[in-house]
Amino acid sequence: MTSSNKITLRTRRTFMLSSAMFLLATSNALSQSQTSTTIRFGLTPVFLNDDIHLLSVIKNYLESATGYSVELVTRRTYQEVTSLLVSGQIDAAWICGYPFVKFQNELDLLAVPEWNGEPLYQSYLITKFDREASKLADLKGDIHAFSDPDSNSGYLVTKALLQENGLSAESFFKKTLFTYSHRNVIRAVASGLVQSGSVDGYVWEVIREIDPDLVAGTKIVRKSDWFGFPPIAVSKRFAQTKKVNALKLAFLSSSEAEAGRAMLDYLRLTGFVNAKPALYDSVKRNVDRLGALL
Amino acid sequence: MNPLQYLGQLSSMLRVPLMVMLLMAVASIVLSERVLTRLSQNQETYLTALASSYLDGIAASVSPSVVHQDSWEIFDILTRMKPQKATIYAQETVVTDAKNIVLASDIPDVHPTLGQMDPKFGMEFEEEMRLDTVSQLAFAARSIRHNEEIIGKVYVVFDASSLLKERREVLQTLILTNIGLAVLLAAIGFFVVRRMVLPMQILERHLLKAASGGLEFISDVEYPKANREAKRIFGAFNQLVGAEKEREGLVDRLTKEERLASLGRIASGMAHEINNPLGGLLNAADTLKKHGHQEKVRLETVDLIKRGLLGIRDVVQAALVTYRPQRSSRVFTLKDLTDISLLLRSDLGSRAQELKILPVPFDKVFDDLPAGPIRQAIMNLVLNASNASPHGCEIVLSISQSKEGTHLEVKDIAEGLPDDAGEILTAPLKSGIPDGMSGLGLWVVRQIADELGATLSVKPNIPKGTIIAIDIPRRSGEMIHAAA
Repeated sequence: MTSSNKITLRTRRTFMLSSAMFLLATSNALSQSQTSTTIRFGLTPVFLNDDIHLLSVIKNYLESATGYSVELVTRRTYQEVTSLLVSGQIDAAWICGYPFVKFQNELDLLAVPEWNGEPLYQSYLITKFDREASKLADLKGDIHAFSDPDSNSGYLVTKALLQENGLSAESFFKKTLFTYSHRNVIRAVASGLVQSGSVDGYVWEVIREIDPDLVAGTKIVRKSDWFGFPPIAVSKRFAQTKKVNALKLAFLSSSEAEAGRAMLDYLRLTGFVNAKPALYDSVKRNVDRLGALL
Repeated sequence: MNPLQYLGQLSSMLRVPLMVMLLMAVASIVLSERVLTRLSQNQETYLTALASSYLDGIAASVSPSVVHQDSWEIFDILTRMKPQKATIYAQETVVTDAKNIVLASDIPDVHPTLGQMDPKFGMEFEEEMRLDTVSQLAFAARSIRHNEEIIGKVYVVFDASSLLKERREVLQTLILTNIGLAVLLAAIGFFVVRRMVLPMQILERHLLKAASGGLEFISDVEYPKANREAKRIFGAFNQLVGAEKEREGLVDRLTKEERLASLGRIASGMAHEINNPLGGLLNAADTLKKHGHQEKVRLETVDLIKRGLLGIRDVVQAALVTYRPQRSSRVFTLKDLTDISLLLRSDLGSRAQELKILPVPFDKVFDDLPAGPIRQAIMNLVLNASNASPHGCEIVLSISQSKEGTHLEVKDIAEGLPDDAGEILTAPLKSGIPDGMSGLGLWVVRQIADELGATLSVKPNIPKGTIIAIDIPRRSGEMIHAAA
């Protein structure tokens, strides 16, 4: 047996052992998650998840509305949170429409936020405030900031737009980079680190209210079509559990309780509604269109 | 003038404080230079350590992102690590890859992402941290290593204005403190020296007064707070003054005693001079008594008596001329010269001598000179010349006037003035009159000349003889009357 074969064999053994341990850990986590009296709720940068006060407002409301203690789980990327959700390590999560479409077979919609009375939002292409740019073509050759590779508004929409125009991000832009937060996209553009960025329209508008100086460094080049607002999703396996139902009720009735309204005000949302997966068909079309390019 | 010479001419009270100030200035400059140099070294060491820590932190944090060329992560690290409220803060931080392409900067507008780093900016950096005092910036750079390979570089520009401001403030503080200290020490020096010099000034005042004849004790009132040293000096001075005053008193007493003794000697001399003819006169009287009836004897005896009386007259006349106190304050006139000639005729006639007055004065008044002392001085000099001169010779009295005063000369053709007689006229005056009768006339001349402020001189009369001259300066009438 050659040394390379030995290494291959050892690697296989290591992989099998690791897989076994992962499955064991996952099953343990699943059982713990569903039997405990704590709701583990995942958050992604679809909103200002780095606002500590906002997190405490959400936690307080959900605990008071569900009767469960609530543990908010945040990760740097959408992918990490989605993985936790799909694997059942968390009970529910506020994710983006794009991961929901990607894992539509494993996930159910729990509730969809309403912004300005509609469960819809847009993607903005932004650039520095003093730059002469008003259309996509003006951004050619830029260093472009995306939010997250699993973000609809911060990645997918721009990729699809370029594809529609027979372009690709790699050739159209000088370079692209991920900031893993819509706020960071705005920071990168406003500071001049990059010349343009793709950002969640809802986040941009909310930051314009709470941190106008930051947003003042940017301007909108293009607004996309309307897409389904990033939803709160739950693993299909646990969609009908008591905890999840309590959580769903809490979101849907948030506008009726004072703590809920405080949360909605903080988030600049009008409420949460039930929605069909068809709301994300437009996202799905982009995914389908890009196909192997993603 | 050389400043040091100028300084040397100042009084101690000014010189010492000035020197203190100069020394303080020199000390201040040296001290300030040392303090600032040390402060600069400390600051640069501190800044180097700070820059090193910051660069180490940045390099370690951005290293994985530099490997991935992740500009956003680098930017995020730079902005998060940038101190917001530090006194010395990183004004500008740039991270490049190994090819000096800017991966990220905390001021992307100045250093565009993925652009080649500005060479001018790169030239500001050296191996070691560099502090530019003009721009008040410090420049430091550090290579970013990954697995022992250089993958990029961090460039940091620190705002060092607070350090340089601190230096300026330290310098200002040093200058102000040193000026304050110098002024304070100079003031202390001034007062201390003044206090030290004050006894010397008192002593100097008394010494000057003593030199002009006003010898006085230093009283406690003059310097009530004298220190021990000053008191010792003053005590020594007062002892000196006491001794001097005692000596003066003694000299006065001795002078008086000597005068009395002189009077005795004069009286004794006169008695001797009169006694000789007196014996002859008494004998003559006896002879007349016994043999007066004989005409021849009588005539011879009367002639003898006459000669004896003439001798006594001469002695009395000489004493009168020499010692008669001059009570008159009238001025010397032409008539006095005639009187002198008349008075001396008998003495000169006995030696067949002649007094010649040259040139014949045309003015009747001689600068308001006092008649008594001048008459006495001239007669003494002429009699002296007459005594020293042989029979039948001529004695010349010259008198002339000029702007400076009056010039008197008595010339003879004698063998010359004895040394001791000459000394009486010209040597420094000794207290008291000379011993014996010899030179008494000249001593009187000397006294008169001194009182008039006149100068006496003795010179040989070529080819033979002596010239004694008196130069009497022109003086105010008041002084002349005082001398008279």
